[in-house]
Amino acid sequence: MDRCIGSVDRNRTGPVGRKHGDHESAGASAGRGYSAAAGILRNHGRLLLPFWGFSIVLLLLPALSLPLASADNRAVTIGVYENAPKIFTSESGKPSGIFVDIIEHIAETEGWRLHYVPGTWTEGLDRLARREIDLMPDVANTAARAEIYSFHREPVLSSWFQVYARRGSEIRSLLDLSGKRICVLNRSVQQEAFAQLAAGFGLSTTLIPVPDYKAIFEMVARGEADAAITNRFYGVMHAPKHGLEDTRVIFHPTQLFFAASRSMPTQLLDILDNHLLNMKSDPGSVYYMSLKRWISEEARFKLPVWIQTLAWVVGVVLLMSIAGSVILKRQVNARTRELKRINQEMEQRVIDRTAELAAAMEKARAADRIKSAFLATMSHELRTPLNSIIGFTGIMLQGLTGSLNPEQHKQMSMVQSSARHLLALINDVLDISKIEAGQLTLSITPFDLKASIEKAVMLVLPLAEKKGLDIRLNIADDVATATTDQRRLEQVILNLLNNAVKFTERGEVDISCRMEDNRYCVSVSDTGIGIEAEHLQTVFQPFHQIDTGLTRKYEGTGLGLSICKKIIEMMGGVIEVESRPGRGSTFTIRFPIHPGA
Amino acid sequence: MIMSETVLIIEDNEQNFYLIEFLLEKNGFTVIGARNGREGIQMARTHKPSAILLDIQLPEMDGYAVAAELKTHDETKGIPIIAVTSYAMMGDRERILGSGATGYIEKPINPETFVEEIRRYF
Repeated sequence: MDRCIGSVDRNRTGPVGRKHGDHESAGASAGRGYSAAAGILRNHGRLLLPFWGFSIVLLLLPALSLPLASADNRAVTIGVYENAPKIFTSESGKPSGIFVDIIEHIAETEGWRLHYVPGTWTEGLDRLARREIDLMPDVANTAARAEIYSFHREPVLSSWFQVYARRGSEIRSLLDLSGKRICVLNRSVQQEAFAQLAAGFGLSTTLIPVPDYKAIFEMVARGEADAAITNRFYGVMHAPKHGLEDTRVIFHPTQLFFAASRSMPTQLLDILDNHLLNMKSDPGSVYYMSLKRWISEEARFKLPVWIQTLAWVVGVVLLMSIAGSVILKRQVNARTRELKRINQEMEQRVIDRTAELAAAMEKARAADRIKSAFLATMSHELRTPLNSIIGFTGIMLQGLTGSLNPEQHKQMSMVQSSARHLLALINDVLDISKIEAGQLTLSITPFDLKASIEKAVMLVLPLAEKKGLDIRLNIADDVATATTDQRRLEQVILNLLNNAVKFTERGEVDISCRMEDNRYCVSVSDTGIGIEAEHLQTVFQPFHQIDTGLTRKYEGTGLGLSICKKIIEMMGGVIEVESRPGRGSTFTIRFPIHPGA
Repeated sequence: MIMSETVLIIEDNEQNFYLIEFLLEKNGFTVIGARNGREGIQMARTHKPSAILLDIQLPEMDGYAVAAELKTHDETKGIPIIAVTSYAMMGDRERILGSGATGYIEKPINPETFVEEIRRYF
């Protein structure tokens, strides 16, 4: 016997769901908020008061955690390159853009002195690796980069990549790119991502690596290439000037950060995160002012000649040093070759096998990325028709088009319920694909755990009352503030409570919360149908409920518990289940009180 | 009285356009519509509606660009823009509000609360 989340069932819980809007509660587990919580979480703008209080706490945090470093006039060096409107040098020679606005605001608050080091994108990355600069703006976090640089956790911006082509070029979809020459930024995440995307669709394209974005658009405008790949921020601003237009090919959602050199203290990264969280929750902050300013205004800029000269000099110096080290290595190898020959043969075999494994691994990862990009696009495309299905059935059920007879009302309600189930599935699939693609990030804040649990209980209360079940709440006195992703934790607790109510026909549902060392422990027990021993291992696997033949009676997406498990694991916690068939089940989550605990 | 308020809908999908139009007209609004961004900006400048409901995925000129341009004209920059969109990916909300929209309603809309929700932005 298995138990799964019923996002759909949740919607039928009566007063709470209806009051706040049925379609909102349908999106429950996908992170687009559930019922009452949704109203609060979505509208930052209307909740300035609590957020102000919270902002003050955040502003104080860096000062408390860094008694020595906070007022030390720290010098911070930042790489500047041409990627307007995110980061660029203005006509007057001043570093400008969204990342500059944000870091200057943080520097002003923290008393940092900022120094800018102009260069190209690749120079900036090299300097950062050599620790000559502290920060490099607008860098996506990849496994390879995480080995060379440090990253903070809260993304500054999110962006997609898009393909641009000359007006009238007839390039509309990915398949139209077959056989075309496409310019892409050298050593960028999109270079690799596009190559894999194209390979996944069996397309043969010629990718031309180009060192900066401006050159990319110029090459396409001159007809030296057929299409260009840039981020959406840059493309929206610059494509029209070059006579280019956007195609419908959008891919690889990316979160963008300041990459930091390895010598940067982690407290400074925490300070960046705190400021970013703070700014993002205040619609009047520098963050949103900057987005407004740079997304809606035109800014013109030129790459100074001296930067190009500098790039040449640095390039030559790099080449010479690489050549020197290669020569040295060959001499050393010649002396030791004989001694090592047998050893090397053995080593070679290991290397070959490792390379084969790595290639297979990379292929699997690429397939995975294509899958999640596909799922993300599909979930968007599916919402458009669902809007009219859910919308018009709602209108008819409200009686706005005249009254329905009881049979028509019953059948329209079935359409509505099925459409909401479909929406819940889409949302859950999107959640799973985000988690598997590593794109689900937690937004860590301190909050009142007791209030969160009570909120979840209030949401399941109507259904429990309808079924005649008691809900018992038992929260220990020492349970206070938790520091993790509040919305995601509430999603998990609500999920467990919903399951407990759904699978219990008589008796009670108990929820308890207590402290254990430096962890919180939340337990949800029921007196329901329970789970057979052989199914206990698989309840956390995606779509598990669907193959049990019980979907008729216990409707749900079959994804809820697997989403819960992933979320709790991301929080550094664990989820466990104990059950006796016919007697009931207990689901327990344990997670750290603080992220570092 | 809200009876005389005019709302401009910029939406290229026929069914979704009709859905919103129907709900608004039932609630006493006057509805005018545009099927693409360029036409929408023209209508906003000519008719000066009380609010604009803006789809994001539009042909030729997308909703981000429409919102940004509406904010540059004196006669339209004061009109509240409510994005009604099925984009639900990370960062979309920030991008939409960053381009000048006042509010954000996710598709699928809830017909029972939709009108109430958009009235808040007037």
